[in-house]
Order: sequence, then structure tokens, then C-alpha cells
Amino acid sequence: MTHSLHRRGSVEDLHEDYVLLFYSSKGINREGSEEKMKQFWHVLSHYEQDLVNFGNHHPNRSGGEPYNMEDLKKAKSQMNMAVFKDVEKLKACLQEIKERDFGISVVVSGLYGETKRICSEIGLAPHTVNLSLGIHGKKGKLPEENVLEIHTMCGHGVVPFNLILHMVQEIKAGKISCKEAAKKLSRLCDCGLFNTYRAEKILRKMTANK
Amino acid sequence: MRIDKEKCTGCELCHPYCPVGAIATVEWEGNSVSEIDQGECVECGTCFKRSGICPVDAIYMPKLEWPRSLREHFSNPNAEHPSTTTQGRGTEEMKSNDVTGRYSPGIAGVAVEMGRPGVGTSLRDAETVAMALAKVGVEFEEDNPVSILMADPKTGKFKEEVLGEKVLSLILEFKIENDRLERVLTRIREVSTQIDTVFSLDLINRVNPDGTIPVMAIAEKAGFSPRPNTKTNVGLGKPRFREV
Repeated sequence: MTHSLHRRGSVEDLHEDYVLLFYSSKGINREGSEEKMKQFWHVLSHYEQDLVNFGNHHPNRSGGEPYNMEDLKKAKSQMNMAVFKDVEKLKACLQEIKERDFGISVVVSGLYGETKRICSEIGLAPHTVNLSLGIHGKKGKLPEENVLEIHTMCGHGVVPFNLILHMVQEIKAGKISCKEAAKKLSRLCDCGLFNTYRAEKILRKMTANK
Repeated sequence: MRIDKEKCTGCELCHPYCPVGAIATVEWEGNSVSEIDQGECVECGTCFKRSGICPVDAIYMPKLEWPRSLREHFSNPNAEHPSTTTQGRGTEEMKSNDVTGRYSPGIAGVAVEMGRPGVGTSLRDAETVAMALAKVGVEFEEDNPVSILMADPKTGKFKEEVLGEKVLSLILEFKIENDRLERVLTRIREVSTQIDTVFSLDLINRVNPDGTIPVMAIAEKAGFSPRPNTKTNVGLGKPRFREV
């Protein structure tokens, strides 16, 4: 899956959007990793107030609220994910993960320049990178950029363009707040990768001149 | 997905929840009710359990038979692929490259994410891209669930019975030597004008010790502008893969 790679937005906006992925590999270090995958959440709990969202590969059906961290500490998982809006908090978390020496692969999705910098500052070196070369083909089928920025926060594509536009209408009509709309959209993202903080800001921008 | 017209109240709450806009209001026995266009529906389940939006539980998923069942396997992130017995539409790609060594120095990984973002793709469009890539010598990833859709991976030809299907996304995934990459990227650019959908393009590479990325210049030469945000494996996995 490449569900955190193609997040859209300006460099300034992407400064508030980093995904941390903790991934065990089938046939190599997945077997026997159960306790390490749980321990990951013990580390993440030190940063709970700094996290925008988090989860694992099991669906979160809690109505747009983040997973319960205590439940995740007990859950079997092969992939854990968390969204940070502050790269310095991510750096501190990454350093703690490094010190715990879990031996599980860690992937950071976000601005490469910043990722490289924080790695260097804590004694890590990027090993492999996945570059996004953008969107191609019949681009006339795509909605405006603001909608794409929200939609691509769920790389599985299950936060529909039409629902984002519907939420914009609902906000403009005074039926729902930007925060509530961001939460409703987040509910559809099973993995906990949706950045509700950024989505709320984008919705506010889209509805500023109602 | 289907809507039980006996139960549907025609409230239209479900309409914006369809990623491919397949739900519309129709007249049925004197009432306005919602209906799902079966040609367009990709069986992603967003209008169903993921959203839980229907107030009268009129939306349901019937048992899907092959080849329609592939729509769910490629569109619903929670569906398990029968061929790989895992969730997801691709391989572990670079997420675990520090322990798998899937991509060695000098080798690029390419993924053409057909239908993304948010548009969906017909299998016919996916075949068009796959055949164009096969002509420049690409060998598709065997562990990717797309492999079960192909009649001949050497030509990129898909099985005839799947060509009428549509999915939210599928990934054409392969590895190629860095020195053959420019030609492949150029072919991808050319074929992008021959399809009725969009795709997002991924390019994987090992990072040099100084943090530079060898394929960056090749991508730019082929006319692509890599975005500033990436996915980066930071090398914490163990046991670390060692190149011979």
C-alpha cells in the first residue's frame, strides 16, 4: 500500500502533516513481533496529546474519534500508524523508538528535507525512499485542489470528492462546523491516517467567503 | 452494493458517500428511491458499513461472484485479496526494504496507481497501461494481486472476463534498473493520454549515504517533477538485509 505517499498541499501546509508507520515484514520479523507492535503504543502514548490521529490496519468505527490508545496497546497488529502535525514531536518520538531498538521497520511520510534533517539529528540515515511523481492521465476528472488535499489524506480513496463538497455546503449553510465536518470525513478512513487538524483548516479556507 | 427499494425512504443521505458517484434517485412504484448504478459501483462498501449512513439499513452487499468480486477486493481497503491472502493492493514495497532488500542500489521500483486519486479505473484502461509497459520490457511484480488478472504478464494482456470490471484503484508494480528508467517513464507519460482515468505515480529508490536520491535526476529528465513529500524508510528494521 502507498496510502500515505500522495498527500497534496503546499510545502507550508505539509509542515503540519507527517505520518509515522511501524511495519513488520511477513516471513522476516512479523512472527514473534506481537509484543513489539503493542510496545509501540506505549511509546506513542508519551506523545498522545501531540498526535492528530492514529490507528492500525483494523477498521476504526468510532465516528471520527481517534482509536482508544489503551485498546491499541492490547491489539494484534502488523502495521501501526500515527499522524503528527509537529515535526519536532515526531523527531522526539522517532528517537525513543530508535532507543527501544524494536527492530521493526519504520517509515516516515512527509517533507523529505525535514525527514532527512530529523534523521540526521538523531543519528539515523534514510535507507529507501518512495517519491510521488504526481497525478497523470485525464486530470479534467479531478476536483479543485482543496478537495484533492483533503481526499488524499486517505490514500485508499474512500473519502469521496462529493462528500467533501457536500460538507462544504453544510458548513456554508450553518448546519455543521468545520471541526465536525473534518471528523465526519475522518470516520471513513479506516487506518487512522486522516489529518483532521489540516482538514479542518482547509475546510475553513474553503468556506471563508460564505 | 445494492439498495433495498422496499426499505429506502429516498432521503438521499447516501448519495455523497459514494466515491464514484454511482447513487442516484429513481422513480419506483410511485416513490422516489435511491438506486446504485451496478456498472459504476466498485463495491468499496463506503455507503455501507464504513459510513453506516443509511438510517433504515436499506443498503446491503449481495454475495459477489467472480469476476465482479474483484471489485471489492481492489476497492475495499478491508477486503482480503484471495491471491495474496492479505489486505492492500500492492506488496510491502519499500516499507520493509531495510529487511527485505527488495530494492537494491541501482534498482528502481515503479508503481502506477491506476484510478487514484478518487476517480476509479476500468480494467480496460489498466490493461492499456500494462500493455504499453510490457512493450518496453517491464516485468510485473508477481506478488501483486493484479497478477491474477493478467492472461499473459509478458504482454500485459488481461483476462477477457475481467475487462468489463471497474475498481477504485489497482497498482501496476515493477522493478527496473536505474539506467532503463528514463525510457519507461517516457512510455508512462505517452500512455497517460490514451486512458479515460487518472493515475498517481510512485518511484522507489535506495538513498545515497549523503541523502541524495539517484533517480531524482532521471525522473526530472523524463519530464516529471517529484513532489516535496515522500515516504522514507529510516532503516530501523532488523535483521538488516545485506547485499552480497
